[in-house]
Amino acid sequence: MAALVWVTVGIALWHFTILVPDRFWQGIVGAFLGSVVGAVVSGALFQVILGRSLGEADFLTLLTPIPGFLLGVWVVYRIGSRQEDAAASAKGAAEEA
Amino acid sequence: MSSRRRNLLILLLFSGLLIASALVVITRPTQLGLDLQGGIELTLQGRPTPQVQEVTGEDMDRAVDLIRAGCDSLGVAEIEVSRLGQDQISVGIPGARSLGKATECATTPARLFFYDWQNNLVGPARELDTRLNFGAQPDREIRKKQRDKWNEAGRPSTQGFNRQLIEEGAEPTVWDAVQIAKKEGRQDRCPECAAGDKYYLFTDDDKHELLSGPVVDRADLYFDSDGAPIPEEGTVVQKVPQGTAVVAELPTDPATGRTIDDPDQAGYFVIKDRAELTGSEIKDPNQETDPVTNQPNVTFKFSGGGRDAFQEITRRIAQEGQARALGAVDSNQASGLSGNFAIVLDNQVVSRPIINFVDNPDGIDGRTGAQITGGFTIGEAQNLAQFLQRGALPIELVLTSQSQVSATLGQEALDQSVRALGAGLILVVFFLLIFYRFLGVVASAALISYGLIFLALVKLIPITLTLPGIAGLVLTIGVAADSNIVIFERIKEELRAGRPVGKAISIGYRRGISTIIDANVVTLLTAFILFLLATSGIKGFAFTLGVGTLTSLLTAVVFTQALLGSISNTEFMRSGKALGNVKGKPPRMFDFTGKAKWVFAASGIVLLIGGGALALKGLNFGIDFESGTKIEFALEKPATTEEVRSTVSGFGLGSAAIQEVKNQALGENVFQIQSETLRPDQVEEVQAALEKDLGLATDKAATTGADEAFNSVSVGPTFGASVVRSAVLAMIFSLLLISAYLAVRFQPKYIVPVLIAISHDILIALGVYALLGFEVSSATVAAFLTILGYSLYDTIIVFDRIRENQEKMPRATYSQIVNQSTSEVVTRSLATSFSTLVPVVALLVFGGETLSAFAIAILVGVSSGVYSSLFIASPVLALWKEREPTFRRRRRQQIEIQGHSPAFAHEIEAAKVEDGSDASAGEASDAKSGTTEGRG
Repeated sequence: MAALVWVTVGIALWHFTILVPDRFWQGIVGAFLGSVVGAVVSGALFQVILGRSLGEADFLTLLTPIPGFLLGVWVVYRIGSRQEDAAASAKGAAEEA
Repeated sequence: MSSRRRNLLILLLFSGLLIASALVVITRPTQLGLDLQGGIELTLQGRPTPQVQEVTGEDMDRAVDLIRAGCDSLGVAEIEVSRLGQDQISVGIPGARSLGKATECATTPARLFFYDWQNNLVGPARELDTRLNFGAQPDREIRKKQRDKWNEAGRPSTQGFNRQLIEEGAEPTVWDAVQIAKKEGRQDRCPECAAGDKYYLFTDDDKHELLSGPVVDRADLYFDSDGAPIPEEGTVVQKVPQGTAVVAELPTDPATGRTIDDPDQAGYFVIKDRAELTGSEIKDPNQETDPVTNQPNVTFKFSGGGRDAFQEITRRIAQEGQARALGAVDSNQASGLSGNFAIVLDNQVVSRPIINFVDNPDGIDGRTGAQITGGFTIGEAQNLAQFLQRGALPIELVLTSQSQVSATLGQEALDQSVRALGAGLILVVFFLLIFYRFLGVVASAALISYGLIFLALVKLIPITLTLPGIAGLVLTIGVAADSNIVIFERIKEELRAGRPVGKAISIGYRRGISTIIDANVVTLLTAFILFLLATSGIKGFAFTLGVGTLTSLLTAVVFTQALLGSISNTEFMRSGKALGNVKGKPPRMFDFTGKAKWVFAASGIVLLIGGGALALKGLNFGIDFESGTKIEFALEKPATTEEVRSTVSGFGLGSAAIQEVKNQALGENVFQIQSETLRPDQVEEVQAALEKDLGLATDKAATTGADEAFNSVSVGPTFGASVVRSAVLAMIFSLLLISAYLAVRFQPKYIVPVLIAISHDILIALGVYALLGFEVSSATVAAFLTILGYSLYDTIIVFDRIRENQEKMPRATYSQIVNQSTSEVVTRSLATSFSTLVPVVALLVFGGETLSAFAIAILVGVSSGVYSSLFIASPVLALWKEREPTFRRRRRQQIEIQGHSPAFAHEIEAAKVEDGSDASAGEASDAKSGTTEGRG
């Protein structure tokens, strides 16, 4: 049940990434991957650290995927924006040349 | 052939099909599942034994044969046995009531027994046996009496093989044998008996035809071999007491030495039920060839205890034969005096070999096994070997779930389903008539034809109708209506573009069919995977869905096209009134991608609420997943929970959850007991105790007058796990297959938004289940897999239009293509979802408790599926594809020229784009008028 909650929260929060400028690696789909993977990893880590079984779910289960979601989305955003910056620099250099 | 002639020919053939379907519907019976007619359903799991380390498919197939043979012989009506997945077997026994006996017949290997023939014979057969008479001719008077009996039974003593059976002392009918057997005293303690008391049901007339039996539970007598109830009136029950058995034997053709394989030629013997050996004591039966005679025979070996028992029985028979001989005899003379042992499989003598005392004075040594010879053909020997193998099934069969549905509950469910079906069909027809006017009349005719042909197929195949199956049927009403809606919307688009009616119909069908095929292939793939992997109830649903989808293609596409095509040149059609006068009306446009952020945020909030419900309330898993026993029963008089608890506490149910519940089907004073998993015999004990102490109410729909308003479901711990495993497997394989199909028919990139939309829909449905506390059962799994199929279906309809428009809008950004496409199909999506939801709502209102829960999942899933295909999958695809260089360039160009990229393609300032050419003007004007040029 806990895993289902993490996935649900991850996907729910992913919906809000549309409000952020689309500079994610692979766009909205990359943000989806970052959200879900981050949420599940974070939820699982907290569950293990707190010594709870994977089936156990309560209010805390709802909160534990959030840090992972934020981290996952940030990582995907960073990779995407760096790639875009690099591409823009390369294009500028090419135009100057 | 002209198109008009072709259309008329199709209509003629279709009319013939409808008439044939109507005849089938009227004349053929409908096969109802256990949940609709009452009965017992068992799920068994094959487990390894010390001899067999791993259960193979072959073992399971053998077990299926064994169960079928075992339960058929007990006369427990028509038995439905099928394999479920790798190691499970589903056994359905419609009409059966005795849980213990049904379980016994399903879990106990086929009844194979070895008898000392002469010493167990009873009645005239004993008197007439030449061996027991020391080779002398038996009493002539007894022989005459037997002959007269055969003549009176309509089996002339001089005809066919009757003489042979008469000389053996056989009885001509089961009735005659039972009359002898029932006079024997009951043997109360009988560990060697093959069965206890046995009941037979005969017609109460001079013929005394056997209607059913032998069965060990009298209540099971009142169902025929098709599971149909047998009225009590005009029948008579006969009981053969424990310790005595009636066995049938087929005659042997003296010319060929072969058994006559015709049940009408059988004779019947009464024997004392003292089996010396059982099928579980033999192993490795094989068909081989006798090295001496070169004739086919059957060899087998004995397990430890069986070896000694076999030696003992054959030695005794040999010694008794020796005692009958006066002086020295040779082997030929000895065979006339030697006794037989009989191999009896499920009350039928399959072989009666002689133990020749000259050849085997000390019996037959069981260490090297034994062989049965009897003038077999190779086929007969192989069959016998197979029978013996059945009796020696090496795997263990463990009961993992059992359910007992009373006839009343089944009848109530059937009535509710029929009401839901009727209401669903009427409402959809009503909607189609209002929304499409004349086209609605055509669609309604197609829908009614669909119903008729589908019902005929259900009866003809035959498909066993179950509750989930009816749910699938209700859902296919929506799918069948959708095929017409897709085409009609296409026709309207062509009319808007100014095409003449005939051309619009022709193009509309040509383009609509491509979409329909894509969408229906996906539904069929889901149904196929479900059918292969799911549990039995869900299998029925999958089969119904698959057959319904195929039938809807015939009625919605072939029939309506021929009908509209044949009248397209009439004045009424040409005027355009019949098609709603849509000429020149542009489609309404909506900025789906522009509004996506608000819609996404709303979806996110809904999912967060669902996640919260899942975390805080969790899912209410039913007995299918949690294991245990649930018993529901109605008492004759009001009682308190404590009285019920006190009655059942002696069976370990003192701490069970007991509550009074409302169940209109069962009647008043209904109670429910939920406990740890009980064995079938424990359930029967509880039932007996409740009947004795508190008095169970009589089942209103019972035909025998002995049925009680008592339902039970028991699920072992492994059943839930296997349901989940099969559902997850079904989901994974469905998605893999569908992804492969999408990759081939569309583009690999289309797969991701589809999968995101599916997860969105499933999670929302799960959230609603958690929030409202609905019970999750194996039927819910079917509902969720349906949501998966429907969500895909709807998304594909939208994506199909995106793919089409992408090719004919070479200068539009992807968002503009998506906005154009979704706007074009939004009417269809809403009309379709409405026509699908209407029967689902009917299911919710009229479907009773079981179907209502199923309907809620479908209702939420279908609504969510329509929403996600328009507002989630399409914007995700647009946003993702916009990142491709081609579409980035198009957007950049539009911004450079107009200062912004408009939401719709017709707002592009066409003349200024790119090199200033007028190339996109046509595209823009096409988009504006809603024409669907391009791929056909």
